[in-house]
Amino acid sequence: MKWWPSVVSLEFRKILVFRTEFWVTFLGQALVQLVIARSLWTAIFEEQKVTEMNGFTLPMLTLYYVIVPIGSRILTGENIGFISREIYEGTFTRYLLYPLSWFQYKTLTYVSYSLFYALQLMVFFLGYKFFLSGGISFSEFGNLLLGLGLFLVSSLVYLMMSMAVELLALWADNIWSLMVMLRFFSNFLGGALIPLAFFPERAQVILSYTPFPNLVSLPARTIMGLTSPEEIFRGLVVVAFWAVVLSFVVNFLWKRGQKNYSGVGI
Amino acid sequence: MKRYLRLYLYFLRFSFSKAMEFRIDFTFRIVMDCIYYVVNILFFKVIYLHTPMLGGWREDEIMVFVGAYILIDAINMTIFSTNLWWLPWLINKGELDYYLIRPVNPLFFLSLREFSANSFMNLIIAAGFLIYTLIQYQGSFGAAEIFLFLALILNGSLLYFCIQMLTILPVFWTQSTRGFVDLFYTLGLAMERPHRIYRGFFKILFTTLLPFALIASFPVKVFLEGPDLMTMLHLTAVTISFFALLIFVWGKGLRNYSSASS
Repeated sequence: MKWWPSVVSLEFRKILVFRTEFWVTFLGQALVQLVIARSLWTAIFEEQKVTEMNGFTLPMLTLYYVIVPIGSRILTGENIGFISREIYEGTFTRYLLYPLSWFQYKTLTYVSYSLFYALQLMVFFLGYKFFLSGGISFSEFGNLLLGLGLFLVSSLVYLMMSMAVELLALWADNIWSLMVMLRFFSNFLGGALIPLAFFPERAQVILSYTPFPNLVSLPARTIMGLTSPEEIFRGLVVVAFWAVVLSFVVNFLWKRGQKNYSGVGI
Repeated sequence: MKRYLRLYLYFLRFSFSKAMEFRIDFTFRIVMDCIYYVVNILFFKVIYLHTPMLGGWREDEIMVFVGAYILIDAINMTIFSTNLWWLPWLINKGELDYYLIRPVNPLFFLSLREFSANSFMNLIIAAGFLIYTLIQYQGSFGAAEIFLFLALILNGSLLYFCIQMLTILPVFWTQSTRGFVDLFYTLGLAMERPHRIYRGFFKILFTTLLPFALIASFPVKVFLEGPDLMTMLHLTAVTISFFALLIFVWGKGLRNYSSASS
């Protein structure tokens, strides 16, 4: 555990190596997604001549899309290839030789990215509240902290999903496309593209048994103060269930897959 | 010209044999793009549960728009994407030298040398979907409208390539391995929405400064509503400007290229 802070600090420094690119990309991505979503929903509200749809007003949807783009990044943590690249290059060998657990190390590097983006979301949200909404109350700040906590918990479930896919690199010659598919699913079914309240009711019921709504929609709505304690509790139970199931899958894949690992690289 | 065509045929042959070596990846990538298409179709299906019109278009019209932008995406994935993916690495590691010393235009060589065979399958699927949306479209159209529509889709693909390159080329100065390509993919969302939803400054931004709305939305507008002089002039002027800007920045970047690895 002594090496944990060093890993987090190192990952933070790695994130900030190319600062101009990093900040332009971060601000650009957050603002572009916000502008496009706001334009889309403004057009829909004007077409329908209503002030509220499925429990969302236009300002609420705007806030939702302030949170969601950065929230999705908390979830996806480190970039695609954080395990598979090392398997393909043969550099995964070091985790088999060094006296540290590859699982702990990879979890820590992943969480470092998630933590960094959580801090960004906090700054972005507070900026939005202070400059565009006239300040933040104590309870709103509490919701922000609770929502960020949920995003971090969800990022661990997403990490398990990612690890399960990344470890397939021990058999398949390229898993990049599988990871992209996972992102498509989690974005759409998690509510990052459209809030889940706009989905047909039957789809919402089916989705509630999957981990997806708890990845983006639940934490984002918690930050907005739209969730009840019961809903949060239910979400955490579903997330915990999937985390346990996926950890067994990861363990199984690793035990079977390491027999396939040659250490040579392709 | 003939020499370049012959060279491109060699690129095609090598790309297909390379793709066939990694068959699982080949299949995964086809499935991945199909999921991207399904998600985009479902996105608008959900939106149209709550409104009958979006940006002045009905659901059958918006599906033509979806067909157009997934086709443009497939064209770019097939012809350019793999090449552009590796370009920042080549610059960052100083490996561009091998391409600069060959007796071929380096921009041609670096942009077209790898044809993505798996995406070619998706190009066929995307074209099939566009044909399906045209059959479902309730309006009438003739061969001339289709011909113009296809020409404008190709123009959109060129514009998409130019913008993508312009987000990558800053690596000549920043020395990173990504450039602003992540920002490009996010900006790509602007291409996937009808242009009439943008107002004020953002309308100027997405139709002139970062002309993502011209890539698919304008061709569909011309197809559905007929061509008008201003739209055609706008499309032509912006495409020529972006292509000229790309050539200019590419030249400047090459002059800044040190060949040293970073």
